[in-house]
Amino acid sequence: MIRIENVTKYHEGRVVIDDVTLTIADNTNVGLIGPGGCGKSVLLKIVCGLIKPDKGRVLIDDIDVHKLKPTELAELRFRIGMLFQNYALFDSMNVADNIAFPLRQAGETDEELIAEKVKQALIDISLPGIGERYPNELSGGMKKRVSFARAVIRRPPIVFYDDPTAGLDPVTSSKIFILLRKMQHDHNTTSVTISHDIEGIKDICDRFAMLDRGRLIFEGDRPAIEACEDSLVSQFWQGYSDDELNV
Amino acid sequence: MHRLATTLQAPFHWLGQTALSWSFNAGGLALLTLQVLRNLLPWRWQFDGPETWRNLYRVGVKSFPIVVVTAVLVGAIMVIQSGLYIEQYGAYGLLGWGAGYSILREVGPILIGLMFSGRVGANNTAELGTMKVTDQVDALRALAIDPIGYLVMPRFIAMILMMFLLVVIGNFTALIGGAVTSQVLLDVNMVLFFQSVIAYVLLDDLLHGLIKAVAFGFAIAIISCHFGLSTSGGAVGVGRAVNASVVGSAIAIFVLDYAITFASL
Repeated sequence: MIRIENVTKYHEGRVVIDDVTLTIADNTNVGLIGPGGCGKSVLLKIVCGLIKPDKGRVLIDDIDVHKLKPTELAELRFRIGMLFQNYALFDSMNVADNIAFPLRQAGETDEELIAEKVKQALIDISLPGIGERYPNELSGGMKKRVSFARAVIRRPPIVFYDDPTAGLDPVTSSKIFILLRKMQHDHNTTSVTISHDIEGIKDICDRFAMLDRGRLIFEGDRPAIEACEDSLVSQFWQGYSDDELNV
Repeated sequence: MHRLATTLQAPFHWLGQTALSWSFNAGGLALLTLQVLRNLLPWRWQFDGPETWRNLYRVGVKSFPIVVVTAVLVGAIMVIQSGLYIEQYGAYGLLGWGAGYSILREVGPILIGLMFSGRVGANNTAELGTMKVTDQVDALRALAIDPIGYLVMPRFIAMILMMFLLVVIGNFTALIGGAVTSQVLLDVNMVLFFQSVIAYVLLDDLLHGLIKAVAFGFAIAIISCHFGLSTSGGAVGVGRAVNASVVGSAIAIFVLDYAITFASL
């Protein structure tokens, strides 16, 4: 279980995350939504220990992430997979090495086994035979899928997806959501998915949380968010705006 | 009124920002140096083998041609400069000493250091800076990999080792360049040139230059890695970081050169 308790983060005197408390139960996929710049990615980075909060704490299975020693934090991170918003593929490595990287770093030395796992991962993301290509030779959608394969190659029990379909066409987005659902179904992962694609995450998330200007303004399941009367939440969920455009 | 207040505040604002920026960089450089030295301890010794080989190739082999060209020209220039006085006094037997002494102790390490910082240091900062702004450094940390062990240590080892070797090669090449120039332009026999080097240039002079090479390699590695890993602000930020890295390395080279020369008196 992941528990975020009263987390606050400031950046250059401005509050980015404002006293957020949220619980993510085991084997659930929480959809984290909200307008751009509301602090979703920062919250995700705080949860996996990449950014330290100024107040509050994050507990993963009752372990305070930000009080761990570097070696203990490294052990915890072996249990976490993360897909970054802008892919974060290593430019100096080809696709196969990018995907194999977490396995090698975890101490796997059997190159035949690694090659087999990489081959299967590329089949799973419908990109067989691109192992020798470099990230700069791939389209955005391909990079996203390779990044997904790298995030889950170690089969981590906890996975964070930061906007997995940003900037992708509807077909590729659909493929990514199918992969997310398959991962959830096959491996019972606990995950948090940030997305602006409400239609896409409606079907893959068990619960939803919405941030606005760093504050958590909603947390609940799908019926609850659909019945929510808060105008910000309902507008975001249904994708409309009360404001007139002055054009 | 508000505009006047803003104008009056501007110099203080600039001073404050500059002081904060210098403090941040001084602290960051000190911290990175400590982390690197800690990783060098036998019981904490950790660096990535393949990444180290990649950097040794990138830093050393790829810099070889530019260092050789620079060194040949440095040797030739030193001979041409000293040739004016050598011819005037007929002291042809001192030409090798004059060129060798200045090349080995001073000009060789300094010029190769500056070339190295411009080529390798700038490239290193740009690569790490791009990795930082595209979340690749965070991706490493998310995969339970220490960026110091994986990114900084291989570069640190490669830069110190290769700076040392490039200065050795550069010194040798500069002497050859000087000998050829003395033969062609001043009609001083190359054998006489090398006899003069061997007779008058001391082992201390060579070691003095090599100590400088190691110190310059150390400084360029730490400075370029620090500015790379503290990059923020996208492509513009990478440009700023590269600029700061090259300027910082050049300053460090001259400060260290002065300190080592002064200490050897």
